[in-house]
Amino acid sequence: MKIRNYWNIRDIGAGIWERANRPKRIAIAIGSIVLVGLLPFAGASFLATPIASYDAVLVYPVGMFVLMSLGLNIVVGKSGMLDLGYVAFFAIGAYTMALLGTNTGLNTWEIMPIGIAFAMIAGVLLGIPTLRLRGDYLAIVTLGFGEIVRLVVLNSKWSKGPNGIANIPMPPNIGPLKFKLEDQKVFFWVVVTMILLTIWMIRRLTVRRPGRAWEAIRQDEDAAELMGVPTLKYKIWSFTLGAAVGGAAGVLYASKNLYIAPEMFTLNVSILILSCVVFGGIGNIWGVVVGATILGYLPDRIRFISDARLLVFGIVLVVVMNFRPDGLLPRKKREKAIVKREANA
Amino acid sequence: MTSNGKVLLKLDNVTMKFGGVTALNEVNIEVKEGEILALIGPNGAGKTTVFNVITGVYRQTSGNVIFDGTSLGKQKRFQVTALGIARTFQNIRLWGDMTALENVITATDVHKKSGLVGALFGTPRARREETENRERAMEILRFIGIDEYSDRLARNLPYGVQRRLEIARALGTSPKLLLLDEPAAGFNPAEKVELAATIKKVRDAGYTVLLIEHDMSLIMGISDRVVVLDFGTKIADDIPSVVQNDPRVIEAYLGVPADAS
Repeated sequence: MKIRNYWNIRDIGAGIWERANRPKRIAIAIGSIVLVGLLPFAGASFLATPIASYDAVLVYPVGMFVLMSLGLNIVVGKSGMLDLGYVAFFAIGAYTMALLGTNTGLNTWEIMPIGIAFAMIAGVLLGIPTLRLRGDYLAIVTLGFGEIVRLVVLNSKWSKGPNGIANIPMPPNIGPLKFKLEDQKVFFWVVVTMILLTIWMIRRLTVRRPGRAWEAIRQDEDAAELMGVPTLKYKIWSFTLGAAVGGAAGVLYASKNLYIAPEMFTLNVSILILSCVVFGGIGNIWGVVVGATILGYLPDRIRFISDARLLVFGIVLVVVMNFRPDGLLPRKKREKAIVKREANA
Repeated sequence: MTSNGKVLLKLDNVTMKFGGVTALNEVNIEVKEGEILALIGPNGAGKTTVFNVITGVYRQTSGNVIFDGTSLGKQKRFQVTALGIARTFQNIRLWGDMTALENVITATDVHKKSGLVGALFGTPRARREETENRERAMEILRFIGIDEYSDRLARNLPYGVQRRLEIARALGTSPKLLLLDEPAAGFNPAEKVELAATIKKVRDAGYTVLLIEHDMSLIMGISDRVVVLDFGTKIADDIPSVVQNDPRVIEAYLGVPADAS
């Protein structure tokens, strides 16, 4: 008799997906997207967050955390580089939105590609000199970079220093969908769309050459280089794509929040996003999504216990990491699955 | 003997110093196209250093490495691989979390053009190259005789298969010159015989092989020429039967008899 591990959600999920044929897969995918899209309407159920507005919580922290964790996961999970300054790219995106939004007539969607481009440029500029470093050394340099970006906006005139930038315009309405402060459903749908785009991008890259190169770099960088993988190039790509996602999240965040200040971009954010990745399952897209959702949502769900919530939050982290050191849904240790999947593709 | 005498790789007076330690001292080695050249010597003789200099892990202190008409002095490691040199490692360094097939496919990427953008948008070239890589990698696994393990994770493979997979992965880069660093380490006699046959097969398929090995019977059985290193200096370079009886080689391996000096 085969003993099944009912706790292994990852393998059960993978099994269902593996067995499904194409129409079934499309049905599952569309079904899940619709379910997620309907989440803002569940505000009256047990999901409701006391004190904080439920649909605002879904946008930030939950949605934003998921988006940023997916971006950071490209760097940390896929190619194994520890980045402790990820918030810098978020800040660059946010400040691009704030400055261009208040000083020019451009709207959020026009600024989005500019913000992403700036974040990517920062990624390349930081990456070229520093990605020769590995492990702890890289972590320290990125940590420094995160702090530099924060200190620059804190001490510069153009960024209005610690006062921050106010009156950032909201995104223009998309047809009948109106962006409103008091009802953030549309923001949520925009975040979900961005998350889906990011997941699509990561999945595409993972099954092809860049994914293999990252995987090889993560597991044994010297062997990778000696087998002909241009490691620096792919590390910079990984870093830059992660930066792009962070920048995109920043643009949307500024446009949603209408006000940004340097204190929103501290090291804490970097650490929290990294926690989401590690908590959910480093390297696994779905693990990261689940991890970021829980870590984003939990503190607001238990806000009624006021100060004790941080204690509960900490205990949950410690307990989970003790019982599941690889995260809630660990990286898939595939044996047969990959051959089948790629034969279908 | 399939060697046509053309020199594929030339180490020209290569010296490698680590601080005060001279690991290689003015070493001259020529590898001819189509031959199996064995590199032997006692522990610490500098054999693996030779590999590391060739593949760009170390930069020689002085001297030149010329491969197929190109000087390897300024090339980055992955460019050396792209030029046609591939190696295996003394202690197995496969990518454990990848399947055997993926390990080889990753190596086949070296000669492909499509990159990140192609992968993202699934351009025809990227798709075609993926298929080519997969077929080529499968072919190599069959050639080495480990295709039944293709979808197993590398780190779950038996030791002997891992060693062979290292060779397969190196072949994935379509090298002109294959460097094998102690491919028979930890093998039993039967496995060694099998490996010798594989190495010969590889040579007969048109690859040139430079081999580091400790097992004398294996070396004498398959190599066309043997180079002996001792304390970073080349002390012999000839066909196996001559090297075997060279007094300096015997001395290096066994020491000088007490009454002879």
